Amino acid sequence: MSEALRRANVLVCGGTGCEASGSHDTFQRLTEEVERRGLTNEVQLIHTGCRGFCAMGPIVIIYPEGIFYCQVQGEDIPLLVEETLVKGHIVERLTYKEPAAHQAVPFYSQIPFYEKQKRIILRNCGMIDPENLEEYIARDGYQALGKVLSTMTPRDVYGEVKASKLRGRGGAGFLTGLKWEFTARAQAEPKYVVCNADEGDPGAFMDRSVIEGDPHSLLEGMIICGYAIGAREGYVYCRAEYPLAIKRLEIAMAQAEEYGLLGDNILGTDFSFHLHVKEGAGAFVCGEETALLASIEGRRGEPRPRPPFPAVVGLWGKPTNLNNVKSYASVPQIILNGAKWFASIGSPESPGTAIFALTGKVNNTGLVEVPMGIMLGEIIFDIGGGIPNGKPFKAVQTGGPLGGCIPVQHLNVPVDFDSLKEVGAVMGSGGMIVVDEDTCMVEFAKFFLTFATAESCGKCVPCRMGGKRMLEVLTRITEGRGRLQDLVTLRELAAGMEEASLCALGQLTPGPVKSALQYFEDEFIAHIVDKRCPAGACTSLVRARCINACPADVDVPSYVALVAQGRYAEALEIHRRTNPFPLVCGRVCPAFCEDRCRRADIDEAIAIRDAKRFMADHELERPWTPPRYGEAKDQKVAVVGSGPAGLTAALRLAQQGYPVTVFEQLPAPGGMMAFGIPDYRLPRDILNADIEAITRAGVEIRCNQALGRDFSLDSLSEDGYSAVVLAIGAHKSSKLRIEGEEKEGVLPGVDFLREVALDNPPDLTGKRVGVVGGGNVAIDAVRTAWRLGASQVHVIYRRLREDMPAYEEEIKAAEEEGAIFHFLTNPTRVLGDGHVTGVECLVHEPGDFDRSGRRRPVPVPGSEFTLDLDVLIPAIGQSPDVEWLAGDPAIALQRNNTFEVSGALCTSREGVFAAGDAVLGPATVVEAVAQGNEVARAVDHYLRTGTTEKTVMMPGYEVVEQPFDLDEYADARRPHRPELPVGERRGNFREVELGLDEETAREECKRCLRCDLEWLETMQLAFEPVPARQASKVFSASRRDNQ
Amino acid sequence: MTETVSITIDGQAIQARAGQSILEAATAAGIKIPALCHHPALKPIGACRVCLVDIAFERALHPACTYEVRQGIEVHTRSPKAEEARRFALELILSDHPLDCMTCERTGSCELQDLAYQYGIKESQFPGTQHEYALDTSNPFYERDYEKCILCRRCVRTCDEINGVEAIAVIQRGWDSKIGTAFDGIMQDSPCEFCGMCVEVCPTAALQPRLGKQQGRAWEVEKVATTCPYCGVGCQFYLKVKDGRILGVASKWDAPANHGWTCVKGRYGWDFVHHPERLTQPLIRREKGGELEEAGWDEALDLVAQRFKAIVKDHGPQAFGTLASAKCTNEENFAMQKFSRAVIGTNNVDHCARL
Repeated sequence: MSEALRRANVLVCGGTGCEASGSHDTFQRLTEEVERRGLTNEVQLIHTGCRGFCAMGPIVIIYPEGIFYCQVQGEDIPLLVEETLVKGHIVERLTYKEPAAHQAVPFYSQIPFYEKQKRIILRNCGMIDPENLEEYIARDGYQALGKVLSTMTPRDVYGEVKASKLRGRGGAGFLTGLKWEFTARAQAEPKYVVCNADEGDPGAFMDRSVIEGDPHSLLEGMIICGYAIGAREGYVYCRAEYPLAIKRLEIAMAQAEEYGLLGDNILGTDFSFHLHVKEGAGAFVCGEETALLASIEGRRGEPRPRPPFPAVVGLWGKPTNLNNVKSYASVPQIILNGAKWFASIGSPESPGTAIFALTGKVNNTGLVEVPMGIMLGEIIFDIGGGIPNGKPFKAVQTGGPLGGCIPVQHLNVPVDFDSLKEVGAVMGSGGMIVVDEDTCMVEFAKFFLTFATAESCGKCVPCRMGGKRMLEVLTRITEGRGRLQDLVTLRELAAGMEEASLCALGQLTPGPVKSALQYFEDEFIAHIVDKRCPAGACTSLVRARCINACPADVDVPSYVALVAQGRYAEALEIHRRTNPFPLVCGRVCPAFCEDRCRRADIDEAIAIRDAKRFMADHELERPWTPPRYGEAKDQKVAVVGSGPAGLTAALRLAQQGYPVTVFEQLPAPGGMMAFGIPDYRLPRDILNADIEAITRAGVEIRCNQALGRDFSLDSLSEDGYSAVVLAIGAHKSSKLRIEGEEKEGVLPGVDFLREVALDNPPDLTGKRVGVVGGGNVAIDAVRTAWRLGASQVHVIYRRLREDMPAYEEEIKAAEEEGAIFHFLTNPTRVLGDGHVTGVECLVHEPGDFDRSGRRRPVPVPGSEFTLDLDVLIPAIGQSPDVEWLAGDPAIALQRNNTFEVSGALCTSREGVFAAGDAVLGPATVVEAVAQGNEVARAVDHYLRTGTTEKTVMMPGYEVVEQPFDLDEYADARRPHRPELPVGERRGNFREVELGLDEETAREECKRCLRCDLEWLETMQLAFEPVPARQASKVFSASRRDNQ
Repeated sequence: MTETVSITIDGQAIQARAGQSILEAATAAGIKIPALCHHPALKPIGACRVCLVDIAFERALHPACTYEVRQGIEVHTRSPKAEEARRFALELILSDHPLDCMTCERTGSCELQDLAYQYGIKESQFPGTQHEYALDTSNPFYERDYEKCILCRRCVRTCDEINGVEAIAVIQRGWDSKIGTAFDGIMQDSPCEFCGMCVEVCPTAALQPRLGKQQGRAWEVEKVATTCPYCGVGCQFYLKVKDGRILGVASKWDAPANHGWTCVKGRYGWDFVHHPERLTQPLIRREKGGELEEAGWDEALDLVAQRFKAIVKDHGPQAFGTLASAKCTNEENFAMQKFSRAVIGTNNVDHCARL
């Protein structure tokens, strides 16, 4: 039956994933085209099983070269045949492109997705025609069976499997060989071999791929098991939802019987073994072995307590060995290559490989087989290619709906049975779902819990009722009706279900909730206390993702809609309710709103910040006087620091009627807005326009007043101030802590920027400047130094570009302005006699993952080099300057010198509150504004009631009509933001970003999808504006008010 | 001889029979392990998790009802871990159970109520939605109140294991699980024979006989052992009697003929006893065309004897025949045929259960 050797072998993936993306058509067209061109005798076409890289399907691989084509559709075939099969060229369009560099990777062996994989179970998947037994035999198929039947006793066989330390791939990880031995030793007859192919985890398809791509490996494993335990009959329990798997299994069984490899007198020996396929109806619980057996017997698929174990009392009450598909499929390789070989792969206690269905927010989704013990981060970042759109990794759910989530700080965990358990997850049967910041962990846990409770069989009380109760609690949390006591209840339910449930389904159902609570408790608390879903996913709490993303709760869709209608003053009024710095934020806000804009799911986010800037600029000529909400009061409030937090707090308190005085250390107000952000990003007159509005509310600003020098907390209270808000910012540069840092020419980043802002810039003309760091201060320093005439500006950053915390647009601008970047580089020594002459640097390479999920830079020994410099600007972080405290324990500090505050932003000294960077560490204007609003509420509450409990405001909202047809803006695109040409920027501090014109701004605002209106509909709420209101109290909950 | 194994339960050394469950061994030794889904007449399923016990060297708790005793095991039925799990299961069950014990028929004989009392669970700490099912009064024998059902499945197993009818099963799954007939119809449309064994084993008031409702509390009734008057099998059961009136029937599990089982007649066919039209005294029609009049037993028996004698004398013994009832005992039937043959002298003897 041998066939003539062909010039080329073309493998077309026929796995379910590729079939879904059209591989059937691809194969059809390929067959026709090869025939049409008369290549039938030269080119062999093979429809294989799954290749794993499902995201890139349909996949075509051409041997002998190993050319890898992906997403090959029917219409690509003529070109592929012409160029590759006839002319021998590679069609670049069809090759895989590496996402970061967009570099073509033409060969299978070079694809990063496959590079770190080790294929034992999947070794034939995608390589052979699964419906052709001879191809399996050609890959050493049934050799293990031959070896077993001719040279090994049953005892040898289970001994070998035991020695390999193969652990059950269904997820529980029990030693397979030991299970075989138990069944072999059981006394009753007959015995059965059963394969669990009831793969029910959503998104998992490893067993399916093995059966569809290499069914004989499963058959061979089961027949060997039959021999080892003394069984003559076996069942494959496969879900009916896998028709292709069942079809291929049946073809394989028929072929194996025909060849004398299955059935009576296998390979001419006395050993006979018969197999049956039992189709399951798709109940998840039938993956539990006793439920599975009940289902085969025709009973309701429900588990029963063990002991007795199936090895003793199994199918029809007889000894039964039950394993997962992957466990059986591993066996032929163990027999052929020996237990030692297998035990040498992976980690010592979990040898071999594991297959994962990698999915979710990861660039390369698909099926991956990796050696056990590989770092979790390697799977996600090296094989999976990281998170799409450069978003940060948040968590990965392993083990399917009964597993657990693993957060960023555990990316280094070795992936094996025991290590995953240690971090609160499980191996399970191999689902791996990656999520980014857009996923709410409460909602995520709820999703899995919904699945698990729907799949509970209902037999035992803890699973049937505990799961339901947990789901009810989670539901109310996601709807903003939770109580803090709920977290206790959830933990009690989880513990109870784990302890008391009958089978693994019930015992593991709380897993996702428990791990989410373990790692993301703050998200639960945000839902409960702040009535806020940080990820913007929980419908009840998120009117629109943009509003939710804004720390200051600015009602984005309303003002955007008003701008679209030309109603700028009203728009601005809405903005100022929660953020009094529209001019500033229209220029420097990182626009968290845009990151979450739903329009970006279609094309690009609305240019919200540009719209805001236009709106604010347009009204510049009409100075705003903030409205007064409360009656005039006697209690005076002092605010220390005039940054965005201090000024916002001062404004809100003044609006409530309190006399407010702001004390500013520097000669002008504005804090970091004035002395950190350079003029080319935020012109001073623009900033002052926002500040002047605040003074019109009656806020008095006293400049050149330093805490500790001109006044003290005691003096403030002597002067009759009833409350103090410390909004002193974070103005102290962190030290590099390297030799020579004290040399002349070393200028800390914030000090440098401040001196420039004070019109006292150092002379950098013609000088070589080095800036250390990757944050916004660093990039501001770089661009400022360049404007001051530096001949070279170097950026020394210890990680990679994508790890830089600075805004992408700022980094890009610095690149345009000629900054020289040294990534993976860290200074080790400042060189020079008295004055800086250079800096010695050490090259680093990415190591394992740190707690932030970024690769930890590891020094490369002997890689030192010297960078010649005249000025070195360290900008690696800032902290509050607290020297004025002089160690006074009255105000407690945290490790980075930020203030320790209560939920109500109250410091440890009565009547003294804190807000802004002084609490958060270096952050953004809008976050400081949010803190200013919050601290003002806290101070007001304190002054009215004498207590310092946290009050939560539910933001109010407007309902702005939608007078135009959104469909007309379906194809509209986000406008390009005009900028000052690079050539005109040197030597001056003119504003780089220029605003949109009126027409463009209004048209852009019409692209807004108006999620806010959709929300009203979804929530069945009236189309009426709602004022801001205080959330109902949630802070003390007894058992009784749980109801 | 049965093999025995030595085990320890709560520090007490016990000789248990091999093959016994921990629960059976404990019960035999007088140690009470709380349980809800377990019933001695049924195969154990380990579903309610109330009988979970701590076994030394076992990581997980195990249900005492399904765990077979093994030589040397050391069982702790009241370890904190076991008690916590038990309380957890009870709290959950109670979170979906009407707390209307004031008016509930089973107050005083409800196994769930007893456990709630023992564990001092006034209200569940896991409150939430409760099932709402309409009370099913569609059959004449018993009511189905599935809001009180705890899904212990004793009824299902009874119907299967004892009666072999399988009229009911668990339908749906998870939280939606309930006991029902095929396609969740009414009992009359199912193979149900209304033997009432499901009602007998129900630990709560989910299944409740219609007769005797609101007529007596558990502690007010006296259980009187009796033999069923319906047929000759000789089934025994208890009559539940209050103030000389029968309120219902309860199984007598040690009855030699029926081991506690009953049929519909024995279980529910006793209401004739207190029927107003039931004959309680002999009646005699003293003259032709006259009314039946109450008479004394002596007078009545004398009259019967006199008439029997006259018939035999005038027409011979073959003019006479006896028909006995299956409601009579064997002894009574024996006496009846003896009377026919020896006293009257005829073999005309028949019985209603002959067919």
